[in-house]
Amino acid sequence: MNSKINSGSVYVPSDEVVAREIEGELIIVPLTSGVGNMEDELYTLNETGKDIWSRLDGKRNLRSILDQLKTEYDMDSQTIEEDAKGLLEELLIRKMIVEKRSK
Amino acid sequence: MNPSNPTNPNIESLAFNDFPLWKNNGSRPLFAIDLEITARCNNNCRHCYINLPQNDQDALNAELSLEQIEKIAADALSLGTLWILITGGEPLIRKDFEDIYLFLKKKGFLVSVFTNATRISERHIRLFRDYPPRDLEVTVYGITEDVYENVTQVKGSFRQFQRGLNLLLDNKIKTNLKTTATQANKHQLIDITKFCREKGSAAFRFDPHLHLRFDGNEKRNTDIIAQRLTPEDIVELERKDPARMAALEKECTCHDSDSMEKNSHSIDRLFYCGVGFNDCSISHNGLFRLCPSLWHPDFLYDLKAGTLKDAWEAFTPRVLSNHAHRGLTNRRCMACPLKDVCMWCPAHAFLETGDLNGEVAYFCEVAHKRSEKKVEMKT
Ligand code: SF4
Ligand code: SF4
Repeated sequence: MNSKINSGSVYVPSDEVVAREIEGELIIVPLTSGVGNMEDELYTLNETGKDIWSRLDGKRNLRSILDQLKTEYDMDSQTIEEDAKGLLEELLIRKMIVEKRSK
Repeated sequence: MNPSNPTNPNIESLAFNDFPLWKNNGSRPLFAIDLEITARCNNNCRHCYINLPQNDQDALNAELSLEQIEKIAADALSLGTLWILITGGEPLIRKDFEDIYLFLKKKGFLVSVFTNATRISERHIRLFRDYPPRDLEVTVYGITEDVYENVTQVKGSFRQFQRGLNLLLDNKIKTNLKTTATQANKHQLIDITKFCREKGSAAFRFDPHLHLRFDGNEKRNTDIIAQRLTPEDIVELERKDPARMAALEKECTCHDSDSMEKNSHSIDRLFYCGVGFNDCSISHNGLFRLCPSLWHPDFLYDLKAGTLKDAWEAFTPRVLSNHAHRGLTNRRCMACPLKDVCMWCPAHAFLETGDLNGEVAYFCEVAHKRSEKKVEMKT
């Protein structure tokens, strides 16, 4: 996979969305133009997606997040890595996350 | 790249109306709020149930402040609210409209705005382009100066409306158009409809049901009654354009079958509609109501003295159940086969007659005339 996602990078939720938890669901609401396809489009993450999102705290790079996921999920390492990177790529394309620039 | 639907299985995109939380899962989140940020308006429409003059100092002083709105919004977030409709009066006449709008957007609400479009400026366009509303809804009172201003009673308002609407449409801000049918514009309704459709308003709405004033102003109520279409007018319009007149079907969203089903146990209750299940209205001065028309003093909760959380979690269930003893004593309407297509309900009955169970001859005539016509058209 020719991924734009870099394991050494730190990814954080972008300012162009607002993430809200409603009744246990994580909802991503586009704030600015160009994030969703329609003005009333919302995004939800499933349990795995929600877990990955919650780890995007600006402190850990992706590699360290993947290492944690691999110890916590009963799944082979390659699948975890592909799933997580695939999700982050989707979120990055949609401007829902950004790569945190080092100071 | 213009992202299409997500391909990753961990993320799903949903249109607001398909959102699973809208389905009844036993809980009662407050999904949607109508927030009237002012009762004042720069127009003076003959039929309007709310408008107070733009310079009405008492109305201005009573308006919820930005801080009070922020407090209400904080509760709304915790109650699961996703959609806030900013309405009025004319919301754009508030000097802090932009602050209110941006605040709500940045908190993660989907925000719609009802406006007459006369005040739309380049600044608003930039705001709506950068932070898109879920939609704007603009009312088209007429498509010529004489008709438009016969409704609004303000010289120059047509030119301002045209300019504002063109700004919105030229800049591709998502705008739905609707009209209100009154005696002052009824001869132009077919052309107004055409205009709205040509301007690409897929969600064109047509409302002939003029509600009486929230403040009971007698003189204005007399004007409103004079502006109502007669039952004959309504069936005549229906005959000319049956497709459009489908939109005349009961306007209250609470009468959709889902909401009615939720309240199907409530035959002996005062409210047989879906009020209190997932939306509410808040007046310019902070009065929480279960629906925009429900102004009976026993069913108002002052948010300036309390909280939205208390209004929704404690007050609303009390209104819905504790008032069961007042029940529906209007047996004629309760037994009526036209009940579900008629405008009669306790809230409207109270506005019309001062009695939650009062009978409203006009509603009854309209419902009967329309149903006679429907039968005729089918045979
Ligand atoms: S109380 Fe009347 S106006 Fe209010 S939502 Fe129910 S039917 Fe509609
Ligand atoms: S007002 Fe008339 S048509 Fe409407 S519900 Fe009552 S009896 Fe039926």
